[in-house]
Amino acid sequence: MTVPFRIMLIAAAIFTFFFIISNIRKSKLRISDALYWFGFSTLLILLAVFPQIAFFFGELFGIISTVNLVFLVIIALLILRVFTLTLRLSVLDQKLEELAQEMALKNAEKDIGK
Amino acid sequence: MKILIIIPAYNEADNIVRVTDHLITDYPQYDYVIINDGSTDRTAEICREHGYRMIDHPVNLGLAGAVRTGMKYALAHGYDAAMQYDGDGQHRPEYIASMAEEIEKGYDIAIGSRFVTEKKDGSLRMLGSRMIERFIRMTTGKTIHDPTSGMRMYNRKIIRVLAENASLTPEPDTVAYLMRCGATVSEVQVTMDERIAGESYLNLRRSIQYMATVCTSILFVGWFHDKLDLRRE
Repeated sequence: MTVPFRIMLIAAAIFTFFFIISNIRKSKLRISDALYWFGFSTLLILLAVFPQIAFFFGELFGIISTVNLVFLVIIALLILRVFTLTLRLSVLDQKLEELAQEMALKNAEKDIGK
Repeated sequence: MKILIIIPAYNEADNIVRVTDHLITDYPQYDYVIINDGSTDRTAEICREHGYRMIDHPVNLGLAGAVRTGMKYALAHGYDAAMQYDGDGQHRPEYIASMAEEIEKGYDIAIGSRFVTEKKDGSLRMLGSRMIERFIRMTTGKTIHDPTSGMRMYNRKIIRVLAENASLTPEPDTVAYLMRCGATVSEVQVTMDERIAGESYLNLRRSIQYMATVCTSILFVGWFHDKLDLRRE
């Protein structure tokens, strides 16, 4: 990993970190949701500050260019997040449907009972 | 046998009076309920003005959500059978009796089918129908001649399943899945009318999306989905 790349990585990680904090402060983001991104930006900083970690795992898995390992890790974490988000969206959809139906059925009972 | 006709209606202001009045005057032996699925036109107002029995969704949930609301209503009010009935006037009520007969005979699902005795034409739409028919035969070993027909009647056992499982939509893949769980299906020859007012829901993009969803669901998701125990009832 080149020095400019590491600097960019650190900058991106720090930016992510403060972006999350500012959103928590405005109480937009729940702590449980923010934890993932805390971990994510911490990992970015770790990989940038201690490239030995990336070198070690890169060699272990036979990845020629270490930077590819960094990309791989980021992509993997993002895919994981997208999937869990899809899952939550599905659950949310179902909950919304249940609520709307419950409300509609209750209102209908009142109207028809009249 | 108590039969409920579920009429999902989304922006059906032009059709709803004709469809519902026809049911009320000529087929008073069946109960009906209109599910207004968050229409943006005057559907809800018209239903109130006419004093129709209506359940009014506060937001649009889509056809699957509307049918499920109807199933919940049917379950809560002890109906023996419930059927989906198009709010746009494609379905003809004279076939309800013969479908109900099949339910009374003990079938779990009765489908109002256009192709029991009639042949399918060679149109693109029928190609889709043939494909779904093939997939259902591959996975269940049984033939449904008109899987895309929206005219389906369910007995109490299936009403409960549909009311309680949000992942089961009233589409051919659900019929295939229920058949795999042991549900029995009977088809009744019917004739359907063309839409009289309003435009069809299916355009090319939606049709492709529909085919992809239904086929994937029949072929793959059905295999992984846990089997329901239909004998529980």
